[in-house]
Amino acid sequence: MIAADNFVNFGRRVAATQGFPYLVIAETPNPVRQLDAAALHVRAEGMIDTVVAGLTLGPESLEHRFKDVAKQQIHPDGVVRSEIPI
Amino acid sequence: MDQNYVDLEADSVDKLLTQAYEVAYDKGWTDGLPIIPPTAESVQRFIAASGRAGDELIGIITPRKGRATVEAIAINSIMAGCRPEYMPVIIAAVDGLTDPTFPLEVMQLSTNAITPFLLINGPVRKILDINSGTGCLGPGWRANATIGRAIRLILLNIGGALPGIYSRSSFSSPLRYSYICGENEEENPWTPFHVDHGFKREDSTVTVFRAANFSNISGGEGVGPDEILRQIASHMPPMWGGGGFVLLLGLNHAESLHAAGLTKQDIQQKLWELARSPTSNYSKAFVNRERSVGRADADTVWRSKSPDENYIVVAGGPGPQNVYIAAGLPQIRLIKGIDAAK
Repeated sequence: MIAADNFVNFGRRVAATQGFPYLVIAETPNPVRQLDAAALHVRAEGMIDTVVAGLTLGPESLEHRFKDVAKQQIHPDGVVRSEIPI
Repeated sequence: MDQNYVDLEADSVDKLLTQAYEVAYDKGWTDGLPIIPPTAESVQRFIAASGRAGDELIGIITPRKGRATVEAIAINSIMAGCRPEYMPVIIAAVDGLTDPTFPLEVMQLSTNAITPFLLINGPVRKILDINSGTGCLGPGWRANATIGRAIRLILLNIGGALPGIYSRSSFSSPLRYSYICGENEEENPWTPFHVDHGFKREDSTVTVFRAANFSNISGGEGVGPDEILRQIASHMPPMWGGGGFVLLLGLNHAESLHAAGLTKQDIQQKLWELARSPTSNYSKAFVNRERSVGRADADTVWRSKSPDENYIVVAGGPGPQNVYIAAGLPQIRLIKGIDAAK
């Protein structure tokens, strides 16, 4: 998944509802709609390592790498309502 | 939505109500305002008033993919302060909001402050005392205040669009507490909105729009239809996220325009032609984008792509006032079982 940074939590939460809590999410700063082709190219290059990791890492590696991140993004500390199970 | 029952005890009513408010707030179940605590009995009463089974699924709401069942809708409606007989309206609205073509997901997450606007038509307005006249968008009417609030609580609690966490609206909006009114059909010189869209006058409907703002347009009275419409159009700037608008035409101007022989279609057409601004007022990127979606020509940027995107509704009370709402993508739903819910 590619997401603007503002929406990574949202993306993670939606991914988790589909059974992919450890989905690899490549982030780029929001907004992106004003960028021209050259600027988008630079942004894409900045995310390419994450995309490659998403395509090559195995499930155990992904879980190890994203377990804590996903937990915090899906159930942020101090937000009681987020604890309602997905 | 998973239900969490909480046992509360206190030696006075005010302590009990305060406790309920504090618990609900601590758990993040509210919009910040006090709630009516739902009980097993009140939930059953609301479900019964809906005329449906409690486990009937009305829709799925992102990002939590929460199940908006009749029971879950009832719980949030009670919390919002609704009466049981409002249930058919809220269920119909949720059905419209969860239509696959309605952009609810982006409304739940965007940095923009877009929010649903609900328009109510038909006899249900009188049955439930939904205000469509003077003060129809403001405080003072329970149905307007609490039906709109129930929708927001449903989006928060069932959809899980937690402000600041998943919902990233930079400023959010006071319109997110409640944004709803009826059409003033009794003083509308033309046919009501729902009749224009194929429903019978005696049908009751709720229409949900994707809405971005509220703008009261003042003045222009008594200078003829051209000047009235020019004055209105000057308050409808092209803006990002474009598309059409809902014009809540006030009574004075509705009467003047009708007396001058204009139809709603004439008004839609005229506003489409007038609600344009010189391209030199805008950034090049914005103009290029609007051109690419058919809302600009060589010299001007337009509020809407076609007259059909301009929705004309008569609402409010006497006075030279109108309300412009940058809004579109309406989903209209028949409100079923309103008589049974009384």
